[in-house]
Amino acid sequence: VILNLRHHIARLIWISLILLAVLFIAFSLGLSIGPTQSGMRSAFSALFSTHESNSVLYNIVWRIRFPRVLLAMVVGATLSLGGLVFQALLRNPLAEPYILGISGGSAIGAIIGILLGLSRFPGICLTSFLGSLGTLALILLMSTGKSIIRKDALLLSGVMVNAFCSAIIMFLISITQDARLHNIIFWLMGDLSMTDLPQVVILGAILIPCFILVFIFSHAMNLLLMGKDMALTMGINIKAVTITLLAVTSFMVSATVSFSGLVGFVGLVIPHLLRLVLGSDHRFLVPACLFGGAAYLVLCDLLARTLPQQGEMPAGVITALIGAPLFIILLKKSRK
Amino acid sequence: MIPKIMITSISAVFILLVSGLPASAKPAEDQLGREIRVPDDPKRVVALAPSITEIIFALGQQHRLKGTTQYSNYPAQAAKLPKVGSYVRLDLERIVALNPDLCIAIKDGNPKEVIDRLQSLDIPVFAVNPHNLESMLQTIQKIGGILNASQIAKTLVTDMRSRIQKIDDLVSETDHHPRVFIQIGISPIISAGTHTFIHELINRAGGINVAAGPNAYPHFSLEQVLALAPDVLVITSMARSGAYEKAKKDWYRFSNMPAVRDKRIYTVDSDLFDRPSPRLLNALEILTRLLHPELFKDGL
Repeated sequence: VILNLRHHIARLIWISLILLAVLFIAFSLGLSIGPTQSGMRSAFSALFSTHESNSVLYNIVWRIRFPRVLLAMVVGATLSLGGLVFQALLRNPLAEPYILGISGGSAIGAIIGILLGLSRFPGICLTSFLGSLGTLALILLMSTGKSIIRKDALLLSGVMVNAFCSAIIMFLISITQDARLHNIIFWLMGDLSMTDLPQVVILGAILIPCFILVFIFSHAMNLLLMGKDMALTMGINIKAVTITLLAVTSFMVSATVSFSGLVGFVGLVIPHLLRLVLGSDHRFLVPACLFGGAAYLVLCDLLARTLPQQGEMPAGVITALIGAPLFIILLKKSRK
Repeated sequence: MIPKIMITSISAVFILLVSGLPASAKPAEDQLGREIRVPDDPKRVVALAPSITEIIFALGQQHRLKGTTQYSNYPAQAAKLPKVGSYVRLDLERIVALNPDLCIAIKDGNPKEVIDRLQSLDIPVFAVNPHNLESMLQTIQKIGGILNASQIAKTLVTDMRSRIQKIDDLVSETDHHPRVFIQIGISPIISAGTHTFIHELINRAGGINVAAGPNAYPHFSLEQVLALAPDVLVITSMARSGAYEKAKKDWYRFSNMPAVRDKRIYTVDSDLFDRPSPRLLNALEILTRLLHPELFKDGL
């Protein structure tokens, strides 16, 4: 058993190290490439300039790109972890915060917050969380009691709640006739451009305890995947685990939605890819999703801000363009 | 003594280099009533809206202008300047890369978050808030003030006031006030409410804005426009792929609308009508001609 544990820990460390290396490469690329590139080397020299200087390059690399790359990291990690958790709880590869309407509910809350003119933190964060809790409660009510882990009931409720959320979002947008509309539409498409360091620090401080909590539950997720009876015999309180994980994940997702809008498909693509490579043990998948999701969104955002000649596009457009086709391929493969 | 002086001057140079502050700055109050410090002689100005670019060119201060926004197409030289995103969607990195010593922002349109971020990066942002003709004239004088072109601004504003006065005098000769619908959006149909430049232009040009109301940019259904029965319909066109010509044609289906019956549907250049810049007076003159051709018989 001890040997087994040692083997397990060694594998965990290897996986984490490899994905951390990938994340580090993505991080460096994210800092050194941008629309106003003057050459990799000068950006790297700015990267390693330690003292506070007022040079333009220093401002661009450390005060504009750095917070943005950090935001992409936490958002990417959260979304891919959120996808992983939902897929485990529902035992359904299609499950994702978006499909369940959790993101939609957060978006409604956030749009109301924006229209009320609240500040991003804590105002919009809070309305967004209330929105996601509202949709979560609605979904749980619709698929009450025993059917919580019956995947079809929960998924179907989610699809309908999501459709309803979209309708409310469209309603709110169509009655808004001022300049804020432009911002809301961009934000809905998943926008990482507007952030500064204090905000990212706040978001990180909210999310990191959630990551740890999900990691603690990773073994329980393994057991849940083996089936209800198996989980019961292993002494898992199915309902408590399910509800705790749903609430924590909704909280994480709503926090990221209020910062970056709707970035789709990260929660589908990353867990799938990693499962193909690493197998289905959640004790490895949870940390892998954190680092892999973070690296993925940093790279997607890098494309989003360097591809267009003029201005930039929302990162959500890139994740959807990459994610949707890839997901269709994965789905076809898994059916064979 | 000499070493002491050297040390002092070297440290002074060093402090200047490290802090990167301009040699001198003056306090200025922008149009939102904020006290900000702007350079004595701004040399690297970024204009965050097409209208501000036009004002800077009108003041002859384009040598200070290092960047502007997408769609800043007037005058033609402005189109050649580096672009920092569109005015509702500014690209922070591109602004900072131009190393501006002053940004001029517009309250109605520029996102507040970007303005806050620029200020947190120690880039002074002078905000203007033109919301009617009078405040637009003040905007010109304010910008003239910070760009050390007060005298040019004064002359420009005096000239503009006399053009406004001419139109006012002309319009006062008539009691006829046609009902006007200005269509600034095609699908959905969007017009301009009471608190807009367009409303003021219609009034000064001797017309009645049938879209007047508390909403700045109200949406209309086809039915509502027909019910309003405008005498004149003006489509502000961005000269794009004939969509506006088609919109004009589409209106001719409704032959019982007064504007159709009298063949008084016009397309005008939207850049003139929706930018609070000196060219707004061209818009006023054009609109007055469209509403009151009879007043221009003697070739004014």
